[in-house]
Amino acid sequence: MFKSINIKDLRQRIWDSVDHRVRAITAGMGLNELRAVMRGDPPTEKPNPRYKVHTTSFLFHIRPRYYEAGSTILTNTFRLGFFAVFFLAVETITGLILMVYYVPSPEKAYTSILHLMSNVPFGQLVRDLHRLGAEGMVIFTFLHMLRTYLTGSYKKERSFTWLTGVILLGITLFLSFSGYLLPWDQLAYWAVTIGTSMAEAAPIFGNEVNLLLRGAPDIGSNGLLRFYLMHIVLLPFLIVLVLSIHYYKVSREHGISLPPRLEEGDIPPETKKAAKKRIDFLPDLLTGEVFWTSIGLFLMILSVTIFGYHAPLETIADPQVTPLDTKAPWYFWWLQGMLKLGDKSLMGIILPTVIVIVLIAVPYIDRNPHRTLTRRPFAVGIGLLSVFVLIALSYMGLPAYGIETDAATRIVQDLVPEEGTGPLRSVEFEQLQPGVYVVNETPARNLCPNLDYGCPELDTVFEQYTDRINIAAAEGKLDNVEAVMLIDDWQQDLKKVTYRIGWDDEEGERKTYEHAVFIHRNRGGE
Amino acid sequence: MFDRIQLQTIFGTIFILVITAVVIVYGLNERDRMEEYEQAQQGRAIEAGASLFEAQCSRCHGTQGTGIPGLCPPLNDRYFFDQRLKEVGWNGTLEDYIVSTATSGRLTSTRPDQYPGQGVPAMPSFSQQVGGPLRDDQIRNIAAFIMNWEETASVIQEVPTPEGPLAGTDVSKTLPEGDPQNGEVLAQSFACTTCHIDAPTGPYWLASDTEPAIGERSDTRYTESDYKGEASTAEEYLYESVVNPSIHLVSGFSDGLMPNNYGSTLTEQDMADIIAYLLTLK
Repeated sequence: MFKSINIKDLRQRIWDSVDHRVRAITAGMGLNELRAVMRGDPPTEKPNPRYKVHTTSFLFHIRPRYYEAGSTILTNTFRLGFFAVFFLAVETITGLILMVYYVPSPEKAYTSILHLMSNVPFGQLVRDLHRLGAEGMVIFTFLHMLRTYLTGSYKKERSFTWLTGVILLGITLFLSFSGYLLPWDQLAYWAVTIGTSMAEAAPIFGNEVNLLLRGAPDIGSNGLLRFYLMHIVLLPFLIVLVLSIHYYKVSREHGISLPPRLEEGDIPPETKKAAKKRIDFLPDLLTGEVFWTSIGLFLMILSVTIFGYHAPLETIADPQVTPLDTKAPWYFWWLQGMLKLGDKSLMGIILPTVIVIVLIAVPYIDRNPHRTLTRRPFAVGIGLLSVFVLIALSYMGLPAYGIETDAATRIVQDLVPEEGTGPLRSVEFEQLQPGVYVVNETPARNLCPNLDYGCPELDTVFEQYTDRINIAAAEGKLDNVEAVMLIDDWQQDLKKVTYRIGWDDEEGERKTYEHAVFIHRNRGGE
Repeated sequence: MFDRIQLQTIFGTIFILVITAVVIVYGLNERDRMEEYEQAQQGRAIEAGASLFEAQCSRCHGTQGTGIPGLCPPLNDRYFFDQRLKEVGWNGTLEDYIVSTATSGRLTSTRPDQYPGQGVPAMPSFSQQVGGPLRDDQIRNIAAFIMNWEETASVIQEVPTPEGPLAGTDVSKTLPEGDPQNGEVLAQSFACTTCHIDAPTGPYWLASDTEPAIGERSDTRYTESDYKGEASTAEEYLYESVVNPSIHLVSGFSDGLMPNNYGSTLTEQDMADIIAYLLTLK
């Protein structure tokens, strides 16, 4: 009976059956081929089974078979588009985890975030990563677009890819913006109130758009639910759709554009040949992607664990209290800056629409066939000028620009901001010694002689207060000023600090500004 | 020695290992971090509660929660923390009790003889759900602030029953000689200072930027044309303001803020002492 079994034959049959299964799973690559891929050896069969994968496998059909060697040079793309997608992946994964804990209702949203932070292991880490990823996605999408513009990669057959790219930038901004409201804190509430009120400025249908977004005249439970659904369903769906089109154009149709210096002018044939050399997706490009992914994750994890990047969380949204310094998310500061320059409809809606149309039309406006920087000085000049204008407008969008707050309010707000920590709250709790500290009467040094080591931190804050008051008085903003800082023991582990500033206004009338804050021992920093 | 692919593989592996290690180390600290976050959250709830208490509750319950005799009960009080739940037969925690009371207020006082409150309702409802000004999270913050008195609250002495003839409401009565020093003590123990000095609930007694002190104001107020009371001297004006606060309201202050029963809780001597004290404030 055993004679009929041929060991060699058996081994071959086992090998064949395993090989057959592996080919089915890898969509065309056998055991030998897989081994060769891992080792970096050339393909073992003809036709190249590594290309077959791209037609038979769903996951690989959208990936490129190869890119030209010249286009994969790091300084050609800086992997900007790759990282934009990397951040999208991070957002999807962390977002799914956050959805487990988040409740989209005004009563519960903020509490659910607090719960995530204080009761879910790694909850803060996931939230920080989600926020950092959102910032990264906006930054890298913008930089990717800037790079594409500067290398003239939007020209000719790639003009449709550029169009989808502009749409993707828009979706990215709205994704980030819609996520802004969800924590339901003051920052979120007022940034989104400002943002949606811009929609109101649109001619004819502005009011309707505003109502559609907010679900009611003011943002409430309806508005929150709408933003939540936009954030987790509508916009992600759109971005996957448009990104698929965008990426398919790049990976399967046109490839990444070569650096202009390898495409234009007198290029030696051997250089040209080297630039056109194929770099296959399997295994080279794929390895590269995994490598860049590990770098991206490494930097992100380090930012949140060691360098202390944290997603902000202010106090719970209060529709009745408008914070002194309200601002839009940073990527909309330019829009806020524009609004300060003129009419709300013109600056908030019409001009941004024109900008978007111009962006989309760039490939059709720019008929210059060259791609090298030096051969298209006009286009490059406009591009750089636009970036400069964008930065200038963003600066003008800051609350510090063009909005005059009365001096006393400003001074106290800077010492004890409504949100965040500020100098006074950073003072060690023990150093907040009860007393009445009068500007220009109480000597600014050694405020607490009864403490062994004094209270240097409180000294500094009081000195700051004194300086600011004296500067404002010298500038004539606070005539005849009297200013005090009072510290009271209020409760166990709780102090009350009151700032009171009295001055004569322009009509000679006596004005008083008083602001009290409570500071608890355990409040912690940000 | 290595080609690019190999270098990418090596460094990629190193990065992944480092990430794993960092996340593990981070994870070891998670329990402490969560604990600390919860404490900070509690601290901030107390801070927020302190501001809200001052704005919404201190008018009646006193800035330091010591209550106002004859009006509102003390909260910063041993009795409140140790006995109150038993007295009212409450099953939940004291914090729940505070949240519940602040949310819906009280139609009538549970101790009408001692603390009748402001009439009907004795205490207004504070939750927006039932027509009040505050959100539920704000009420919870107030409760956190009140609960922070638990460890330090002392026994608040009730004001002793007056001995001797009561002051009454007839302001033309001749009062005995007043002692300003005792008047100051009485002003403290009857918690007048809670509203008239500590917090700007009632007219401020001391001199401010715009107004002279009460001792000086009382000299002229009864001579003003829109004065509605019956006093004809500074002493009578002060007497009247204490025992019958509704008869003439100083602009900016509304009726019903000040208890109107001092005529039956102060003796003639107490009244004389307090008036003497007020007249020293110039």
